[in-house]
Amino acid sequence: MSPRPFRDAGGARRAPGAAGAWSAGGARPEAYTVAAVNAMAKEMLETALPPLWVQGEVTGWKRHTSGHCYFGLRDRSAQIRCVLFRSDAQRLPADPEEGMEVRTLGRVTLYEARGEYQFVAREIEGMGAGGLWRIAFEKLYRKLDAEGLLAPERKRPLPRHPAAVAVVTSPVGAALQDMLRVISVRAPWTRVLLSPARVQGEGAPSDLARAIRLAARSGLADVIIVGRGGGSTEDLWAFNDEVVARAIASSPVPVISAVGHEIDTTIADLVADLRAATPSAAAERAVPDRAAMARELSTAEDRVRSGLARWVLKRRDRIENARTALTRSVRRTSRRRKELLSQYGEKLDALSPLGALRRGFAVPLGRSGRILRSVDAFEPGGAFDLRVADGTVPCRVEDADFARENG
Amino acid sequence: MTDPPLTLERRMERLDAIVAKLEGEGLELDDALALFEEGVSHIREVERMLHDADLRIERLIAGPGGTVETEPVRDPG
Repeated sequence: MSPRPFRDAGGARRAPGAAGAWSAGGARPEAYTVAAVNAMAKEMLETALPPLWVQGEVTGWKRHTSGHCYFGLRDRSAQIRCVLFRSDAQRLPADPEEGMEVRTLGRVTLYEARGEYQFVAREIEGMGAGGLWRIAFEKLYRKLDAEGLLAPERKRPLPRHPAAVAVVTSPVGAALQDMLRVISVRAPWTRVLLSPARVQGEGAPSDLARAIRLAARSGLADVIIVGRGGGSTEDLWAFNDEVVARAIASSPVPVISAVGHEIDTTIADLVADLRAATPSAAAERAVPDRAAMARELSTAEDRVRSGLARWVLKRRDRIENARTALTRSVRRTSRRRKELLSQYGEKLDALSPLGALRRGFAVPLGRSGRILRSVDAFEPGGAFDLRVADGTVPCRVEDADFARENG
Repeated sequence: MTDPPLTLERRMERLDAIVAKLEGEGLELDDALALFEEGVSHIREVERMLHDADLRIERLIAGPGGTVETEPVRDPG
């Protein structure tokens, strides 16, 4: 191919070393190097066309081992070669399928090594519901489902009274504040273990997975909450990542997912033992309510006390009956045996703490329910319960003037 | 008594068991009284905890060799 005349061939775009190409006769125009021509064409293309969105059908998608992706975009009458470089390709949730309609943002340029005109894409969006996100979601869903990780029978019950709750979320997000507020109102005795993680953007999935494993490995948490506040599909995408799903699935303690988005279910929601709609809702499910627990305790106390009271009543009847029978039989026996039996009766009475209670002795019980056996166990002004034969009397020590005896 | 403190979950489970036993049959007095005392002590302990109003927040940190350490968080967020 002979070089064609070109106006202003001696201009600024002269290729390095091109000056020596002038012939001695001076008539022949300068010949450009191939590189120079491509460089000029490239610059023209790039300056003439701003970054733009192109819509078309994907064809021949190839992800090279280098991480770069090559594909064509076409419509009914035309086609353009496209490339998506690795750094941008990493952000794709999934590779588009053949024939898929996409919109892609990028710029037109020229690949100088081949002199090929091409489109360098920076972003690709699938058209239709969910686009590439939907494809990625469904692919991972099928994979995890096939492994049984989404099975309902894998779901573990949450502990009713966790001592420690691990929270995997952004340390600077509103989600953390929401959860802390709920826990401090409902169960302020709870130990909260913050396992901070980035919840969106590049590296978020692996960071979330690391933070979940850290909480699981600590052995300190009784339940783990993994979550963040609401956001766009892209913001929430880390919660649809396989490494996050696997970290949740391998946790030895139950996991509550709390991705603040009620409409989209994430893969994390499906793998978790419980899905909560928001971080606040997750915290509510994780810890019991203080008022409800106080009621539960009060009921337990009533039942413990009445349980013991019933026990005493029942046995007292039985001892009464035995005593009556004994007395009857004593009346029928000789004086000698009468004395003997009478002694036994007294012994029985003396040995039984119930007999003691019935005879008017009382047992002081401390707040912890322990028997107060010594003067030292009482404090001036301290409260205690006095257990008598048929019940309990709440008491208080009036003054410190204790009378102490030996023994 | 150098046993580690019982967890809340354990105390509540124990309390359920004690109530069931006390309401059941066949206990000796010693056992009934011991269960009563234990039950009341769990109730008092848990009540004390319910009024312990300070939320403790700690940050988990990966330590050497796969260990996990914690440090208190004073100003969460």
